[in-house]
Amino acid sequence: MIEQVCFNEVMIESAKEVFETMVFMDLAEATEPDQNVEGWGLLGSITFKGGLEGCLAICCGTACAQAITTNMLGIDTNEKLTEEDTCDAIGEIANMVMGSVKSRLLENVDNLEVSIPSVIIGHELRNSLGEGAEKISVKVNIEDKYVVELSLLYRESGIE
Amino acid sequence: MAKTLMIVDDSATMRKIIMRTVRMSDLKFDRTEEAGNGNEAIEKLKSAPVDIVLCDVNMPEMGGLEMVKKIRAELENCADTKIIMVSTESSQELIDGVIADGANGFITKPFTPEKFQEKLSPFMN
Repeated sequence: MIEQVCFNEVMIESAKEVFETMVFMDLAEATEPDQNVEGWGLLGSITFKGGLEGCLAICCGTACAQAITTNMLGIDTNEKLTEEDTCDAIGEIANMVMGSVKSRLLENVDNLEVSIPSVIIGHELRNSLGEGAEKISVKVNIEDKYVVELSLLYRESGIE
Repeated sequence: MAKTLMIVDDSATMRKIIMRTVRMSDLKFDRTEEAGNGNEAIEKLKSAPVDIVLCDVNMPEMGGLEMVKKIRAELENCADTKIIMVSTESSQELIDGVIADGANGFITKPFTPEKFQEKLSPFMN
């Protein structure tokens, strides 16, 4: 059944829904998919288990994370954000995108239990699940200005 | 009559977003409280009950599902408090379960001011 799912579409539609409803920013599939999130950035990830196990992540640069946080909170762009604010916001985005992905996947997957999101800050961050995992990666543009990578790593349960 | 509200979520950012969405939905509250998990919410409610609680499901220490059961079983001063769950989890099984345990409604994330208006306004009069 899982072969019938187009993960790219599921991730993009889910992220669009979250960004339009909660962040009030435009999100579209990247016109130049070879672009990377370069330099320092944040990676918000959330794991899931059940009919499928894996991890969904959103990775963006620091400036993008700050813009997302400012918009989500509806505060002035001059207002100073803490590292905790931006981490919290990116974690919530990962959480909401995963929630939206989950509701779409449950048409084809029996059960999915989702963890609490975690966020790391670093340089050239990558999402990994070890060997045997399928990786779907989609680059999107936020407001035609920022590059964000959405990735979904998964394997069918019981496969080491 | 002025209403009171408590927002329970382990994410400070999400508490701010919920507060912002409540304001955008034109719902007016005389007093708003915040709590970072079920334990903290129950301690605050013991001394100062509120009319409406907006509560996340997955939280450390005490999650929303356990919190609903405890409020309904142990806090007599919150018998009239309406509890609305706010979560990315949206399975019908979960919603039915928490409503059976005593919650009064469920809002799924991502949410809109219109959704808050729809779910909360029946409890505002």
